[in-house]
Amino acid sequence: MNGRPGARILVAEDDHDISDLVAFKLGQAGYEVRTVDTGSAAWEAFQAAPPHLAVLDVMMPGLSGIDVLRKIRESARSTVPVLLLSARSRDADVDLGFAIGATDYVIKPFSPRELLHRVTGILARTP
Amino acid sequence: MTTPAIPLPVLITALAVTGVLCATMVLLVVAVKTGREVQARRRANLLAPYRQDLIVVSAGEDHDDASMRRLAGATGIAAAVVDDAIVGLLGKIRGAPAEALVRLLVDRGKVAEALSDLSRPARGRRARAAHLLGMCRQSRAVPHLVAALGDKAGEVRAHAAHALGMIGDAAGARPVLRAVGATDPGVPAGIAAAALLSMGVEIADALRAGLADPDPRSRTVAARVSGAGSFVRSRPRLRALLADDHDLTTRTACAEALGMIGGRDDVAALGRHTQADAPLPLRRTCATALGELGEPAGLPALTTLLDDPDPRLAELAAAAMLRLSPQTVHDLAAARGVRDQDPRRGHPLEAAIVMARLHGAIG
Repeated sequence: MNGRPGARILVAEDDHDISDLVAFKLGQAGYEVRTVDTGSAAWEAFQAAPPHLAVLDVMMPGLSGIDVLRKIRESARSTVPVLLLSARSRDADVDLGFAIGATDYVIKPFSPRELLHRVTGILARTP
Repeated sequence: MTTPAIPLPVLITALAVTGVLCATMVLLVVAVKTGREVQARRRANLLAPYRQDLIVVSAGEDHDDASMRRLAGATGIAAAVVDDAIVGLLGKIRGAPAEALVRLLVDRGKVAEALSDLSRPARGRRARAAHLLGMCRQSRAVPHLVAALGDKAGEVRAHAAHALGMIGDAAGARPVLRAVGATDPGVPAGIAAAALLSMGVEIADALRAGLADPDPRSRTVAARVSGAGSFVRSRPRLRALLADDHDLTTRTACAEALGMIGGRDDVAALGRHTQADAPLPLRRTCATALGELGEPAGLPALTTLLDDPDPRLAELAAAAMLRLSPQTVHDLAAARGVRDQDPRRGHPLEAAIVMARLHGAIG
């Protein structure tokens, strides 16, 4: 793996099956993962300790993943890569995610292996 | 006029009865809620010893099959809880881990049981069976699920259509389209459309057949899916239905689809249906479709709509023109003396320009 071993990854997901699974998969690959289950908690965690990459679910209670992404892109740490994970698969949803500044967009149901490859790839390309 | 007085004993009895009824209702609600919580806690406790194994298998990290063996070893009620958790996970993941979990369900006889459950008297059981077969993406279940599209319970029909979409076998396309209009109420249009779009390009023939279905609900879904899925071979039939279908919803769906997948040849027909003698919903849809189509040849028809008595139609026409040629809209606004900084004037051109600025479409 050449995607910055030990990199800090923030995972925001209100479905605990998915957040545990993603955290386990990324943890096994050597990343340091923090999970939260709301958009507000994600934004607080991002401000408190900016990660090297954030994986955000789009539909969360309170602040959505899109809202959090927008805040990140307006913040001082606006270049942190963000991968959106969503069941919303229409072109318009994907377009919106990228228009707001998502680095990548993964549609649920997803392949955990593919998610890991994407995370590794993004981190390898990030300066 | 005097109101007859209610005797005090009757009043007290009525109040007492009402009070008892209210208290019973509250107790009932609390009991049901508590019962559900206890049940959920019990299931969570039963699942707890297996949850980490489920996560390990789902993540594709069960390299020595140890977690899979522990999951396979679950028995009794715990096995049923684990199976339900697996079905839940199958809606969230795909790839090799999902296939491994499906194999576990197949080995435990859950798929065979679901096939048999499709003909059980309890509709909840039939619906759950259809759901499981879809989540397990079992191609051999397609004929059974097609039969379930004619189930007497709407819930079962909807789950069967969704399951056919999950399996993605085009053999289910024509039956799903028929099921939209075969019963009352039929399979919900949204579920049918999503299922059809999951079946891939091989449904093209089924869609063309669906556009000739006697029921307008089936024709409408076939039109929407033709557009959303870019099935260009549906175009001739869409054009014919736009021209003379007796159902207005079908015609608007055809106009919308032609906006997505039509070409220069469709500008004239879409423009014709924006004219005053066409029904208003169709005029509005055709105006938007002309913008979606992206052919500058649509500009003249749209320009004539800017002063239409229906303000919404005029706005849609202006928005469509902006998609075709922002410069034309600016020039037109300037020529008409429309000041694009003042949306309060309410001219559709101004509204369109302001909206386009908000969306970042123009500078």
